[in-house]
Amino acid sequence: MSLSVSGLLSLSAAVFTSCRGDEVIYPTIGTHVTDEIRNGGLYVLCEGNMGSNKARIDYMNLKEGEYYANWYGCQNPRQMKELGDVGNDLQTYGGRLYAVINCSHKVEVMDRKARHIGQVEIPNCRYLAFRGDKMYVSAYVGSVATPELLGSVFEVDTATLEVTREVKVGHQPDELCIVDGKLYVANSGGYLTNRYDSTLSVIDLSSFTETEKIVVGMNPTRVRVDDQKHLWVCCQGNYNDRKPSVVVLNKGQEIRRLGIPCANISILGSVAYIIDNEQHKLRAFSTIDFSELDQPIDISAFEHPYGLLAETDVLYITDAKNYVSSGVLHCFGYDGKEHWIAMTGDIPGHLCRVSGEYMLHSDTVQHDTTALSPYISRVYEYMPAMGQFVNVLPKYEEGDDAESMCRKCELAIANNAGGMICLGGWGGYVTFGFDHSVQNNEGYDLRILGNAFLMSGNSAYGSSEPGIVLVSRDENKNGIPDDAWYELKGSEYDSPTTLHKVAKTYTREGDTLRNPFHTQPYYPQWIKEESITFTGARLAPLTENISGQSVQRILDYGYADNKPNTDLTGTSFDISWAVDADGKSISLPCVDFIRIYTAVDETFEATGELSTEITGAIDLHIARD
Amino acid sequence: MALCAHSVFAFDDAELDSLYRRFQIEEVEVTARVLDKDVIKPQTLKGAELQRLNALSVADALRYFSGVQIKDYGGVGGIKTINIRSMGSQHTAVYYNGVQLGNAQNGQIDLGRFSLDNMEEIQLYNGQKSDIFQSAREFGSAGNVYLTTRKPYFKEGEKVHLHAKMRFGSFALANPNVGVDVRLTDKMALTFDAEYMYSDGKYPFRYRRVLPSGETAYDTTAVRQNGDINAVRTELGLHHYYRTTGFWRIHAYNYYSERGIPGAIVNNVWRNGERLWDRNSFVQAQWQDEWFDRWNTRLVAKYANDYTHYKNFDERLLPSDNEYTQQEIYLSLANKVKVFNWWDLSLAYDYQYNTLDRLNLLLEEAPERFIRHSHWLSAATAFNIKEYLRLQASVLMTHVMNPGSSIGNQQLSVPKVTPGTFLSFRPYPEIDLSINAFYKQSYRYPTFNDLYYTDLGNASLRPELARQHSVELAYNIVNRSFSRQAVFEHGGLSSLSVAVSYYYNRVTDKIIAYPKGQQFRWTMLNLGTVKINGVDAKADMSLFLPLRFVLRTRLNYTYQTAIDLTNANDSYYGHQIPYIPKHSGSVVAALDWQSKRGDHYGLNYSFIYVGERYSQQENTIYNYVQPWYTHDLTVYGEWGIKRWWLKANLEINNLLGQDYEVIQNYPMPKQNVRCTIAVKY
Repeated sequence: MSLSVSGLLSLSAAVFTSCRGDEVIYPTIGTHVTDEIRNGGLYVLCEGNMGSNKARIDYMNLKEGEYYANWYGCQNPRQMKELGDVGNDLQTYGGRLYAVINCSHKVEVMDRKARHIGQVEIPNCRYLAFRGDKMYVSAYVGSVATPELLGSVFEVDTATLEVTREVKVGHQPDELCIVDGKLYVANSGGYLTNRYDSTLSVIDLSSFTETEKIVVGMNPTRVRVDDQKHLWVCCQGNYNDRKPSVVVLNKGQEIRRLGIPCANISILGSVAYIIDNEQHKLRAFSTIDFSELDQPIDISAFEHPYGLLAETDVLYITDAKNYVSSGVLHCFGYDGKEHWIAMTGDIPGHLCRVSGEYMLHSDTVQHDTTALSPYISRVYEYMPAMGQFVNVLPKYEEGDDAESMCRKCELAIANNAGGMICLGGWGGYVTFGFDHSVQNNEGYDLRILGNAFLMSGNSAYGSSEPGIVLVSRDENKNGIPDDAWYELKGSEYDSPTTLHKVAKTYTREGDTLRNPFHTQPYYPQWIKEESITFTGARLAPLTENISGQSVQRILDYGYADNKPNTDLTGTSFDISWAVDADGKSISLPCVDFIRIYTAVDETFEATGELSTEITGAIDLHIARD
Repeated sequence: MALCAHSVFAFDDAELDSLYRRFQIEEVEVTARVLDKDVIKPQTLKGAELQRLNALSVADALRYFSGVQIKDYGGVGGIKTINIRSMGSQHTAVYYNGVQLGNAQNGQIDLGRFSLDNMEEIQLYNGQKSDIFQSAREFGSAGNVYLTTRKPYFKEGEKVHLHAKMRFGSFALANPNVGVDVRLTDKMALTFDAEYMYSDGKYPFRYRRVLPSGETAYDTTAVRQNGDINAVRTELGLHHYYRTTGFWRIHAYNYYSERGIPGAIVNNVWRNGERLWDRNSFVQAQWQDEWFDRWNTRLVAKYANDYTHYKNFDERLLPSDNEYTQQEIYLSLANKVKVFNWWDLSLAYDYQYNTLDRLNLLLEEAPERFIRHSHWLSAATAFNIKEYLRLQASVLMTHVMNPGSSIGNQQLSVPKVTPGTFLSFRPYPEIDLSINAFYKQSYRYPTFNDLYYTDLGNASLRPELARQHSVELAYNIVNRSFSRQAVFEHGGLSSLSVAVSYYYNRVTDKIIAYPKGQQFRWTMLNLGTVKINGVDAKADMSLFLPLRFVLRTRLNYTYQTAIDLTNANDSYYGHQIPYIPKHSGSVVAALDWQSKRGDHYGLNYSFIYVGERYSQQENTIYNYVQPWYTHDLTVYGEWGIKRWWLKANLEINNLLGQDYEVIQNYPMPKQNVRCTIAVKY
């Protein structure tokens, strides 16, 4: 019987190859969303739906234009069950970051890089306010639940993270803010459908008692203070016949009532920005005379505008979409121009600007491979040595310069275009890159395609025009290949016939050789200089006469355009082969630039020089569609 | 129903020695062939095969069908619902002894509540039961599960049958069951069955995550809390088969339970405080007869009364304390006329009246009452062209009216007409090879919750439409010619059945929750579109081995793509819908050995696989859910001592102790055991 069971097990294993593995923590995925450079960073708290445990803190490095999904995850990989269930507020205070995680009944306390310091357990906590060394947390329930369902505000010592005092307020208190030593709490009554609360509780911070209740309007959820020390209270109404409104208070007295709905509010200087979620409009009001100001940012295409943060130079606003899928963070200029967008987690609700600019080491970030292309995206340099296909592949036309020739190379070999470029004789090179860094993972990392083929009947020989492959990291992060180069050590590297550190100069004057098939100039015509000097390594001549044919010996591994494209491993390269100028092996986590140059110096009267041809390259770690 | 009437007394035959009775599964197949009214055969689990599965409830057993996904929130008391061919659980109708179980409140039947103890047969029909003699309402669902409870079997001279069962297991499971069948007259029998179930629901579960390097990030084991259940089920049936074509029966059912709702395990929350009390009661009566060999009539009447009390004891959350009472009155009249031997016509009309009373115990308000009237009128016809071709076509008119409530407005309703056609082609009458196909439309009507749930309901919802296209190739061999004893001694194939089907379904106007403009408020809208392409493959085999061994295997595999096509601007457009794996399947292998004196010993192994899937609409790595698969094992012995029959059975579930979740954040039990001892007289 045991036989039959094990037989079945192996059968089932054969039928279902997809097996369960270790549950790996959620990755942090970095995406480059803009080339614009600003200072500091922006934290985004994505709420996640109740029960999904998908509250998430993302981080945008505004200097690098890099958006990191699940930044909290990589900073706190050992946090049991991650950040928690339903984020509700995010604020920075005293060099720390505080996040309210509503259904995890806690306030998560982090350092400025979002690394966990501790947590404060507060049941059904909602929003935060700070003063001095104290944090104030509104909560729908107190430490002792009351039958009338009154909420509480807790005072927490930010040094010890202990609750020091508690005061009972109204029903389901939401936002709170502090003006002149008084804490104002918006009692929403959100649990009491049809019997919403409509008051602000005023708490004297020294005695920590509720001194009065101010009636504002039905279902107040947000309360913010402006530059005039006015309180802006957003009342949601009953979602039925009682309309929402924004009430402005001065010293507890209503001074203005704006009959507009307010899903979110952000006050910058003397302007209050309000999301009008009925008209799907971002509106601006003066805090001085409450007049409505012109506001050109257009959010009418948003599905559900949700999070809002006005900054001096730009305004951030999120679209929560349908609340059960990824939201979008938009960055607008005040002229209405959209600067960039980033894909967030579910329900991006809370934005918090910080000064820190943090990067993750590239090997700890998993780049969003679905959005990346496995093919060459950019050709940075194209500098062929003299050759019979130079000025043809790609074609030089009057007026072309180095830059336009690079674009022509991109048309030929980038994005899987399938064309071909020629590097000319020994030393001629091309430098290209992808829309991402190529990771140095286990095994091969990269394929480089050329036009090599094997001799029929003798696979040791064929048409091989090997190119040496160099790699480089963009260490100075300037996006230009001006960093140190490392050679990928191929099979001939240690051969005594291989000469390292060779130089050769080609001159326009010396461009005399022509074969009958290619009569154009062989010297790259867009080069203004009269001579070009190349340096690098040179392999011994490969050409032999086999069965009356002039063919090359196929090298073992590690050279471009050496083996046919049908040979997957023969055209693949491992970044781990990299060596420095002294031949010492060097470990690179990833590379940004790849350069290939013709490695042999052989010219024949009838067939011209041996020149490396490149038809494309593929990052093996990016899934192709 | 005619089939049932026959099979009940088919076993009176004195020929049924103990050996023969063992293979009643095959026997029913044999007799069923002649009587089969189904153009397309359902997937079936019954009798001994059903009882030997590692399954406690109907939901556990349904996992062994292809094309089916079970949502299981874990534990004995966790909700378990079925989704057939990805159209959504509310497109599935569940029938208890031929009459649909209703839940007008949320349209979902928790199949975890239906014990297998009293169950004789579970059948799953895609599309509809392709027998035109059925009630009108049965034409109305996209997928149908028929549960048939145990029927009395009496040999000559037998008056009383008794059975008693005791089951113990992990999580403090205690589950006694007693039943009695009494033969009142020659043709009339009374059945009674009662069951009690208790479990504390405390099972250990483990969350372990690793860093990309493989190093452990965290690893914790906790015990599931608030998953206890106390449930009592009692059933009483009166059956009168007064002639071969005519019978009436009355069935009364009562189920009462109190349970905790263990809830989602999220950061910093390891227990929840919700509790639920339920009572489901119904009485149903059926009468059926045939006139002049041509005219069949069936009458069904049912009254159901369901009560639910939900209370949240977690003081940190929104307090709620609600009572719901649902009532249902159902009447059905179905007629079938055999015009010629090759041509049948049927006409049926059903009426149903539903009410839901909702009472919020925290508010001193009068209960709200919601009312629904539903009418179904069906006409169907069936043709048999010799042995080659069987054709059925049906048309159903449904008219659902919600006359409004204290808060909901009257819903404007329009009668809807839906067709269905079924075809079976057998090119070679001597070979049981058939090509089966169907096309069907069906509506899923908005439930009371969809229409009137506080703040969320939307009284202007339209019904959701499912269109199904399905083609099947089926091949069966039943070794009927052999001398049973000889084959049994020397081995040979008893039966083999293989089927592959391809289907294409489209669900439009899908009712989904969508956020309203203001803050966090949702409403129900007819927004979704889902396109489903699937392949179900199944193979059942029964093999006699030498030395009185019998091996039965059952293989199921399902491939499904269920793609969200709601809106091309959605980030999840074209993505697989939540919790539908592309690959899923099961393997069951049962080895049974019979001693010379007729005792049985056996081993049942089952493997269930559910492939990778996503917990939300967007197929991103953050919503990715790993595959799960469990190995279950049952060892049993059955002994006959004079008129007594004794069975002992030990089940080990999740043999390798896999830590898995069917629904994210609802951990499932690790390895667990159940032990059953049953006696029959």
